[in-house]
Amino acid sequence: MAPSQAAQVNLSPAELSFLRSSLSQTPPIRLDNTKGPRDFRSMVAEYDVLPSTNGSARIALDDGTEALVGVKAEVEKSLWRPNVEGRRALSIAAGDVDMTDDDKLESHDNKGKGQNSWIEISVEIPGYRDDDALPVFLASMLTESLLSSGELKDRLYINNRFHWKLGIDILLLSPPLSYPLALLSMTTHLALLTAHLPALKSEKDEDPLFDDDWDAAVPLYPKSDSSGGANVDKPPVIVLAMAVGPNIIFDPCKEELAVADAVLAIACAPSNASSTGPRIVSIRTIDPPSHLTPPAVPNAMNSATGGVAPASTAEALTQRELLSASGVWTPPRGGMKRDLIKRVSSMVVDKGGVAEEVIAALQAIEVG
Amino acid sequence: MPVTIRAPNLPTPQDALQRADASDEDMSDDDLPTAASGTSIVTPGETITSDPQWMRGHGTYVPPSTTTIVSTVAGHLHKTNKLLSVQALRARYSPEIGDLVVGRIVSVGTKKWSVDIAAPMLASLPLSAINLPGGILRRRTAVDELNIRTFFSEGDLLVAEVQSLHQDNTASLHTRSLKYGKLRNGLFTSLSGAGGGVLSRRGGVVRSKRQTFTLNTAAGEVDVVLGVNGYIFISAHAAKTGSGTADGKDVGITRLEEAVSETLYSSQNDDMTPAIMGEITRVSTLIRGLAAAGRRVDEDVIVKVYEGAVELEAEEKSLGIKGGEKGVGAVGVVEAVLERLELGG
Repeated sequence: MAPSQAAQVNLSPAELSFLRSSLSQTPPIRLDNTKGPRDFRSMVAEYDVLPSTNGSARIALDDGTEALVGVKAEVEKSLWRPNVEGRRALSIAAGDVDMTDDDKLESHDNKGKGQNSWIEISVEIPGYRDDDALPVFLASMLTESLLSSGELKDRLYINNRFHWKLGIDILLLSPPLSYPLALLSMTTHLALLTAHLPALKSEKDEDPLFDDDWDAAVPLYPKSDSSGGANVDKPPVIVLAMAVGPNIIFDPCKEELAVADAVLAIACAPSNASSTGPRIVSIRTIDPPSHLTPPAVPNAMNSATGGVAPASTAEALTQRELLSASGVWTPPRGGMKRDLIKRVSSMVVDKGGVAEEVIAALQAIEVG
Repeated sequence: MPVTIRAPNLPTPQDALQRADASDEDMSDDDLPTAASGTSIVTPGETITSDPQWMRGHGTYVPPSTTTIVSTVAGHLHKTNKLLSVQALRARYSPEIGDLVVGRIVSVGTKKWSVDIAAPMLASLPLSAINLPGGILRRRTAVDELNIRTFFSEGDLLVAEVQSLHQDNTASLHTRSLKYGKLRNGLFTSLSGAGGGVLSRRGGVVRSKRQTFTLNTAAGEVDVVLGVNGYIFISAHAAKTGSGTADGKDVGITRLEEAVSETLYSSQNDDMTPAIMGEITRVSTLIRGLAAAGRRVDEDVIVKVYEGAVELEAEEKSLGIKGGEKGVGAVGVVEAVLERLELGG
């Protein structure tokens, strides 16, 4: 289970109890009452904000959280990998590759040649060290979802000796007011979607030579595949969902997160075939900060409100278990039920689901 | 559409140019063009003028052995006769005696609590400055010190008054009134950064006649506490129980025991209907929208905007329109309501 954010919840038990009961209504009453359970906080987005990067994006949420992502590509010498070379030499030696096949091979032969180390993500969050749990986990979650399809890293292959090294620098400009994973992932998505690589002029195993005309640059994620079809790979996007009582709420803010039963981060990539909805590329549970909150003292156990304070810890525990009052905050216990994960993931990936809407909205920025 | 993404509204390049021109004049002219417009911003370290005829006011600084006036904060330049002052765009609350503030307990000491009131330093609430449960008037004993967490513990919200200020501007609070004490049954909202006080910055709570008031909603009465420090608490109106507290006003010090209810230090919420919870969140959303739209937040505006928003929603529901074209979220609703109010006079 992923670590929860280090910042402690600092809400009073009465507030937590209020938030929890309003969020477990049907329909849930969210903190921003203009929003429904599936609504995201409104945001401001722009791309191509950093001049010397291959692609960049900035997204600012209404509550003041803001993220900036720059994608930078560099040509790097590949390490010689004997098994790849060997296999190729063997197949040529066997004579089963003629000229026509070779040509066809040229356009597709980067398949499976990409390496995970060619993509490097660094996350910086103000107030956190590089090796703190939160930035490390965020970076690994984002890397995991990017690498899962394998198409991106293959696209970084130039020839046997050279490849692109993609550095993705993610900067959270404000302190993490809510769990920033979804915001960072959306900003990264937009930056990658708009990233371009210089067009390659050299052929095969020559030293790579690039077109110095930036207008001729090719997008990192091509708009259409080689045959002109629309079934192309797109960067993944991570959606944050939380469960409170019977309700599932997307894109929770900090206060809402503080009363969550369970939090789930789902990374989705638009599917290659346009007929089906997005597919899940990775899924993680996030330890909700509500587990760390202290329980409220019910009136019956509070000497300041006419109750009798229990004499021992064991007695206190027993009294709490037998408690029936509704307005007392008790931190949620236990994890996620399998059925809940199923419901959340189907809400995300179904046709017209949340993931599809997020991807469409981010796509619309680039188009419009 | 659950996901709304807008394009940023950046200033046009022309604006920046005009501003550069204006600041050039600033240096040469003895008059100050920036003061009149009120739209340009000076930043810390920026020279406002080197003319010795001006006097320095708040937010400015004169480096030793020069006559240059330099800004120390980022904000708008104000000119009063020959006095130059800079009003910061965002400022922390500076406490004053008698202010009604909403605070959150940060730490618990042996004889006092440290309270976050959005001021530069934490305020302190001594154990001797609270009402004891049952309203008993007596010296605080070692037993009270041991039981300090039964009154307030970390994270608890309270409404209090600034009793005194120390030399370093730290505030000392008290809750020795029936109006003050622990807050529950509601929602906390923070509009800090506006600085509070009488100087009205864009969006924020200002000191006014009434900081606490009751709003009549369809679902019942809602209490709103506007702390001068920008912390706001919106809660369900507590039903008065018992004859002694029928109208909390004429409770003398002799009858304090009857008036201070048993639930003064309770951290348990009363039962609330979903409708009242909805109204509480609506008021809190509207207040945040008001601040985001750069309006001042006081009783008058909140009541007007609340009524307007309820009306707007009813109309939208009856006409079957979904959402306004004005904008999205809380700001959109507030702007739509304010526009209608202005049209209606």
